[in-house]
Amino acid sequence: MNTQKPANPLEMVAYVLSQHIKDHQIVYVGTGLPMVAAILARMTHAPNITLVYESGGQNPIGGDMPWSVGDPFTWRKSPIIQEMVYSFAQSYNGYVDIAFLGFAQIDMYGNINTHFIGDDFLSPKARLTGSGGNNDLSSLTENMVLVGIQSPQKFPKKVDFITSVGHLTGGDSRQKAGLLGNGPVAVVTNAGIYDFEPTSKRMRVKSLHAGVSFELAQMATGFELLRPEGGTVPVTKTPEPEALEILRTKVDPHGVFTSIPGM
Amino acid sequence: MIKYSYNQEALKNLKIEDTSILDRLIDFNDARKSHLKKDHSQRDKRMSLKEAIAEFVKDGDICTDTGFAYVRTPHQAYFEIMRQQKKGLHFIGSPNTNHSYMINYGVCAYSHNSYLGAEMRGTDRNYNRQLKAGKVKILSEWSHGSMAQGFKAAQLGMPGIFSKQLLGSDIIRYNPYVKVMQNPMRDDPDPVVFIPALYPDTTIIHVQAADRCGNARIYGPAVNDAALAAAARKVIITAEEIVPESELRNDNKGVVIPFMYVDAVVELPFGACPGNMPGYYYWSRQWWEKIFRFAGPSDENMKLFMDEWAINCKDQFEFVDKLGGAKWISMARRLTKACEYDNEDAEFDFSYQPYLPGKDPGIYY
Repeated sequence: MNTQKPANPLEMVAYVLSQHIKDHQIVYVGTGLPMVAAILARMTHAPNITLVYESGGQNPIGGDMPWSVGDPFTWRKSPIIQEMVYSFAQSYNGYVDIAFLGFAQIDMYGNINTHFIGDDFLSPKARLTGSGGNNDLSSLTENMVLVGIQSPQKFPKKVDFITSVGHLTGGDSRQKAGLLGNGPVAVVTNAGIYDFEPTSKRMRVKSLHAGVSFELAQMATGFELLRPEGGTVPVTKTPEPEALEILRTKVDPHGVFTSIPGM
Repeated sequence: MIKYSYNQEALKNLKIEDTSILDRLIDFNDARKSHLKKDHSQRDKRMSLKEAIAEFVKDGDICTDTGFAYVRTPHQAYFEIMRQQKKGLHFIGSPNTNHSYMINYGVCAYSHNSYLGAEMRGTDRNYNRQLKAGKVKILSEWSHGSMAQGFKAAQLGMPGIFSKQLLGSDIIRYNPYVKVMQNPMRDDPDPVVFIPALYPDTTIIHVQAADRCGNARIYGPAVNDAALAAAARKVIITAEEIVPESELRNDNKGVVIPFMYVDAVVELPFGACPGNMPGYYYWSRQWWEKIFRFAGPSDENMKLFMDEWAINCKDQFEFVDKLGGAKWISMARRLTKACEYDNEDAEFDFSYQPYLPGKDPGIYY
């Protein structure tokens, strides 16, 4: 009898992110859930990926969860460590396949804000981290996957500040602005997975997690979501018991990134 | 007389009226003149931390945050800057996080932002408060990579770099130093961003080993420090160990800073505490949690905290004693070596009790 608890929303996000990684890819990893997802992918279906971190570490051998993107675990027995400017240049020059980025706000075109909340840059309601490597990766990387928690405040019509360009104003505006790559290909939240309609580049439901209806997802969004082609909304695949077990016992055994008190 | 053509929209958005405050960061001629005026001889540059900060950090200087936020970052030198009550410093770096606690003391008054905060440990509530109180003025806004390109341009010896970063974003509208242009080698539209070479006044870089002339070895991520050493008008090296010149000649692996850039060499074991020093010691994770969770929420707490750990702390040895002394050192060494797989870690447990306000740990693991 299987006594395993079902995946909590954070574990679900980590699992879904990991599913976007294919074996042998070069994966640029930011702090938090992306780190969990990349390590989970490496321990399950994608054992031969190369991880790249902005502090310069790359291709570390396996180990515990890094405490920071600058942790020695990010360059544990790495054959080479790159200076920061060269690690972003890898994205520019085509040596990164996929990158993951978090956000505080996202709009219907996948533009991201990590700068501030409010209407005055000089006196914001809340000043946030700023770009870090967020803008660099979103400007340069071939495929971006964005990850965050979904609410109408975090999914507004217009972000308070464009830290990183997704599809800008839709259509081919991203290419016209001079940016590289496909831009965001997916948005992963605790509610579902979204992609972008190929012509308008507006956010579209790809699948919703078990128990989430289109109406519920729409209620958690400050702009109009598009329905998937054909109209019916698929349910996101839940983690295999083995993957969930590895996530809990090997990837994040102390639950630093994926535990929710009371769950 | 040099006249700079700043991004006018950014000046307006940042409310910068007197642009002379921006000039020194991109004044190549002045930086080159400073470099030429230095004593270029291969001489012994060792001095104490007190002497180095007194001589090479002046009020109003553009200083740098080096290493990676709290990896190989010269925190102990920053604390000495605070003890010497320097005033009105500018801070720049990618990341640029440590100036936050200096703002409360008037030590830092201007910032060139790239990243604030400490990843999963949350946004920087102290910076938030200081910004709203007008204690710090933002002079420019960057991404990590675009600022790093400005430093790299200086090291490469070129007026600037054309970048594909920042395009289309609002960061451009809040950075007086960058401009969108047409790629001059293309007839079809191809927007690029010109990023000028950046020349800070003073950079302090903590390294694992240096010789007495200033040749310096970095082990682990060098981040932007090789470029910053080349660019800055004044360079202070603080080092875990001072090694004989012959050691760096026999094994030059990791030697990324040549002596000629360097003005002062300071032997400073534990100079990166409470940050991580690759090969030497791991973070004091609980110290960092405490500054965010206890000190961050109010000015009073921040003053209590930084008075205790910086202003009234005599030196790095007293600091390490407060973290937990020899017990802390041996665990911190064990942790960083286990992370690097230089120690056996098969049964080693990296877990720890995160800091909770009101529950001070006896030893700050």
